Amino acid sequence: MAETCKQFLADCGINPDRLSLEWASAAEAPRFVELITGYVNSIKEKGELGSADDEAGEATIRRRLKAAVVAAQARKPRTALGNLSKRLHKEGDFSKDAISEGVSSKILPALRAERIKEELLLVLKEGEKDLDELSSALSAAKEELEKPLAQLQRKGVVEEKEGRFQLAEK
Amino acid sequence: MVQENVVEKEKEMAQKGFEPRILGFFCHWCCYAAADSAGVSRYQYPPNVRVIRVMCTGRIDTRFILEAFRCGADGVFTGG
Repeated sequence: MAETCKQFLADCGINPDRLSLEWASAAEAPRFVELITGYVNSIKEKGELGSADDEAGEATIRRRLKAAVVAAQARKPRTALGNLSKRLHKEGDFSKDAISEGVSSKILPALRAERIKEELLLVLKEGEKDLDELSSALSAAKEELEKPLAQLQRKGVVEEKEGRFQLAEK
Repeated sequence: MVQENVVEKEKEMAQKGFEPRILGFFCHWCCYAAADSAGVSRYQYPPNVRVIRVMCTGRIDTRFILEAFRCGADGVFTGG
């Protein structure tokens, strides 16, 4: 789960080190203090969300996270997560490499596809866009956008006029 | 109204120097108890963490963490 989150955060343009998972037992108060102090300092160094060097701008991150929350609830990525845990359990290999490989090959693509679909709708809500503008707003390749756009058109949610996309009027 | 005051206070704090807003998910049986005993033994630690107690770290879902970031957290600390 933590690995999924980290990879997905990186995909959304957020530094994955902003999420930390640590262990401290009930008897380890000094260790807890050490962990929390170290973590708070590392976040202080990074600055506000969206301000670190390797991160997308704040507005982009907000929009992307909005789409990401919806994506995390979608059926496909959740099934992928379940299937992966089943597979890992069966194979009995819980090494970090095996988990990270499984997440990046099975869960992340599903999450990314859902996120892109949701984000397309959010971007188009701001106004009509052509394919180039969409691809730069979502920092995704044009080929990646074709499939979700076609799906949305088939559903009648999005319309295309002379190469520009917009939300269909209801 | 109360919310506005809090936001203004936090903005003031931000001007003085960056104070990150961190959300902590603590396991009831481990980290939460550790945090509690750290308080009882008067250890000093940064006050930036807002804690949510969960009955087990395994309860935490991808969505919780994304939602935390969406609501404006600068970091999420999960302690098991």
